[in-house]
Amino acid sequence: MSRDSPIPAQHSDLATTWAFLEEGVDHILKKLQTGVSYSKYMSLYTVAYNYCTSSKINNNDALSNRTGANLMGSDLYNHLIRYFVIHLKCLREESESLQEEALLRYYAKEWDRYTTGSNYINRLFTYLNRHWVKRERDEGRKNVYPVYTLALVQWKNNLFVPIQQKHAKLAGAILRLIEQQRNGETIDQGLVKKVVDSFVSLGLDETDPNKACLDVYREHFEAPFINTTEKFYQKESESFLAEYSVSEYLKKAEERLKEEEDRVDRYLNTQTRKALVSKCEHVLIREHATLMWESFENLLDFDKDEDLQRMYALLSRIPEGLEPLRQRFEAHVKKAGLLAVSKLLGEGDTAVESLDPKAYVDALLDVHQKNSETVNRSFRGEAGFVASLDKACREFVNRNAATGTSNTKSPELLAKHTDLLLRKNNKLAEEGDLEGALNRVMILFKYIEDKDVFQTFYTTKLSKRLIHGVSASDESEASMISKLKEACGFEYTNKLQRMFTDMSLSKDLTDSFKERMQQNHDDIDITFSVMVLGTNFWPLNPPTHEFVIPAEILPTYDRFQKYYQQKHSGRKLTWLWNYCKNELRTNYLNQKYILMTSSYQMAVLLQYNKNDTLSLSELVTATSVPKELMTQVLAVFVKAKVLINEETDQYDLNPSFKSKKVRVNLNQPIKAEVKTETAEVLKTVDEDRKFVIQATIVRIMKARKTMKNQTLIQEVISQISQRFAPKIPDIKKAIDTLLEKDYIERVDGQRETFAYVA
Amino acid sequence: MVTLVTSDNEKFTADKEVAERSVLIKNMLEDVGESDQPIPLPNVSSSVLKKVLEYCEHHRGEPLPAADADTTQDDTRKRTTDISEWDQKFITVDQEMLFEIILAANYLDIKSLLDVGCKTVANMIKGKTPEEIRKLFNIVNDFTPEEEAQIKKENEWAEDR
Repeated sequence: MSRDSPIPAQHSDLATTWAFLEEGVDHILKKLQTGVSYSKYMSLYTVAYNYCTSSKINNNDALSNRTGANLMGSDLYNHLIRYFVIHLKCLREESESLQEEALLRYYAKEWDRYTTGSNYINRLFTYLNRHWVKRERDEGRKNVYPVYTLALVQWKNNLFVPIQQKHAKLAGAILRLIEQQRNGETIDQGLVKKVVDSFVSLGLDETDPNKACLDVYREHFEAPFINTTEKFYQKESESFLAEYSVSEYLKKAEERLKEEEDRVDRYLNTQTRKALVSKCEHVLIREHATLMWESFENLLDFDKDEDLQRMYALLSRIPEGLEPLRQRFEAHVKKAGLLAVSKLLGEGDTAVESLDPKAYVDALLDVHQKNSETVNRSFRGEAGFVASLDKACREFVNRNAATGTSNTKSPELLAKHTDLLLRKNNKLAEEGDLEGALNRVMILFKYIEDKDVFQTFYTTKLSKRLIHGVSASDESEASMISKLKEACGFEYTNKLQRMFTDMSLSKDLTDSFKERMQQNHDDIDITFSVMVLGTNFWPLNPPTHEFVIPAEILPTYDRFQKYYQQKHSGRKLTWLWNYCKNELRTNYLNQKYILMTSSYQMAVLLQYNKNDTLSLSELVTATSVPKELMTQVLAVFVKAKVLINEETDQYDLNPSFKSKKVRVNLNQPIKAEVKTETAEVLKTVDEDRKFVIQATIVRIMKARKTMKNQTLIQEVISQISQRFAPKIPDIKKAIDTLLEKDYIERVDGQRETFAYVA
Repeated sequence: MVTLVTSDNEKFTADKEVAERSVLIKNMLEDVGESDQPIPLPNVSSSVLKKVLEYCEHHRGEPLPAADADTTQDDTRKRTTDISEWDQKFITVDQEMLFEIILAANYLDIKSLLDVGCKTVANMIKGKTPEEIRKLFNIVNDFTPEEEAQIKKENEWAEDR
């Protein structure tokens, strides 16, 4: 640094002042690396300060209309501009021979030097900025800038724009470097970042120089960048797909998207992210979406989890990208469900009637579970896919090869399966996974449309389990009921819960009856226990025929009848002989056996206390059991060799009856009963439905007073569909019934409109 | 520590923290880097710098006003003519010294000191007639009677009545 130049005196003229300042500015812009001393810095500041504070009135200024004190500075400012222009012209000339990366290197190097120097100069001219520039801008001359901004404006006008005008030499060079990088070459990212950053710095918000403005960056870099990106990936994705599979492409597209996002982080302005990403999504995903949709099913068929995940992730990035996948997924699940059932039936030509409930339920569950896993694993449990899965499952659970057109088959089989689970001696219960099995039942239950059919079957099965005492455990029963309650509400399980109440009340009743009998009679040699069950809650039918109560049990019968009436006067007891169980001890044989029988069997055997040989008609007369039933009862005895049937319609007691077991169970269900069960249940369901539909109509009409036929039917369907899918003819029939019974009436003069009759 | 050299060639040493209450010195140390070179202050005399350093010493550690955040802060700063007790005592000097301090604060870019100085001058003017003010600052009236009438009319709104 030249120490020769003396500081100009305090009131030096412009020429002297500028000569001194120019030398300093020049030093700072060109040879800053050689350093600046404190005294040089202070003298430059002081000279600029002195000039700006010199109070001589500059009459040459044509600014006489200005209010307040005159401020000095415009001359210095103009000299600075002139200096920058000349300096930048030199740089431009030097740059002219340079191309591509060499140009970028030169540009970046000079940019660094220029901006550092300008920052310095800006500070040296702080006083000019603080007063003269501020005043100019306050008075509306927005083309006057603080010195640093001025330097950038000059750079832009005298270097940047002229270079760019020659075929976008700068931006082009950057774009070509980026393309090289996309093609796998290593490039100097720092260099790209520096040049790109300079584009950002050159943007100027006229109203506030401190505010960032991306104009220059957008126009000169971002727009062409997005453009070349689109072309590059258009070409690449097409040629890639011509050569490789969709699976490979998914990987490639995923990588490319990631790469471009990284690119933004590495050397672009973050504002570019949105435009770049959405352009890439368009070219890489949207343009090939149809192909992806078409390949989706293939991936599903072969369980290509990773590919599915990728496809989901990619298509979820574009609007409407997933909907076709959801539809295809739904069709796929439905197909799988139907196929599973067909396969089950196909194996060994199983007839629908003898379909094993467990195999059926397991087949449906397998399909659900497998696809549910796919949803969670590959589609991140996305709600739309869950809905597709549910829709498909509802479809194949209710309608498949096993159900045919019947809506009741699935609920029936599911209820039967549940019954088997909840029975004693079920393997699952022993394994301790009964709870899990019940939860799986609930998965299918959710899809069952006719939940009332399930309910009726379930009730029937539960009553059998309770009456016969074959339930696995009260806990499991309670757990299942609470699951059903959670799914369908209190009303749905009300009956089931009442059944349990009856069971425990009956136990107490039996105990207290026994106690009373011990006090009053000591002649009791019969062990007796009773269940008193509410008619409305139990799906049980009394015998349709007479029954002569055998004399042996008559006293007990009478005593209990009396005891109960005493306790609850006014209640009617109906004896369900057809559900009773008896145990008889034999005395006529060498070995004593205990015969376990039904009431009718008991009644028959008791006849042999007095006779050894009886005819069919004698037995029928003695017991009042109808002939058809009697023959079946007797057939069991003959088969078990308790009785011998040598002559037609004549039955002899077998005096040499033998059995390996002491307890002989003769109480086997009679075939006819098994067959009629299903039909009976379905009949019950039909009856119940009639009432449900009628009740619903009355409820709706009571609330709405008048309603059109069509809207009424729709409302009924929407209210009932939770329990079952009502058929329109059934609803119409119910409306007719209610019209007949005067619950509702037709409104005169209005077609198809009904009114509630209060 | 930094060494400051005044126009009359006297050396002062001050803690960097104290000297940096002058934005000029702060900027320069930032730009040029620290060294043991003395810092020449050709526009400040030793008697004034002594006062300025006293002020800076007293106010060391207080936050400096941000370089460009002035608008909101400025409003409150402009509206009040209150001066803290210490500052008031500090600025009780003869008129010549008062103006020297103001000039130095302007040169060294010490905003708060510049404020104290200017507020003091404002307080001196407050409530005085033009004639009294002219007398106070030794100003020759160079207005013509017409100009004076015009100005009086323009500023009527500001009169105390």
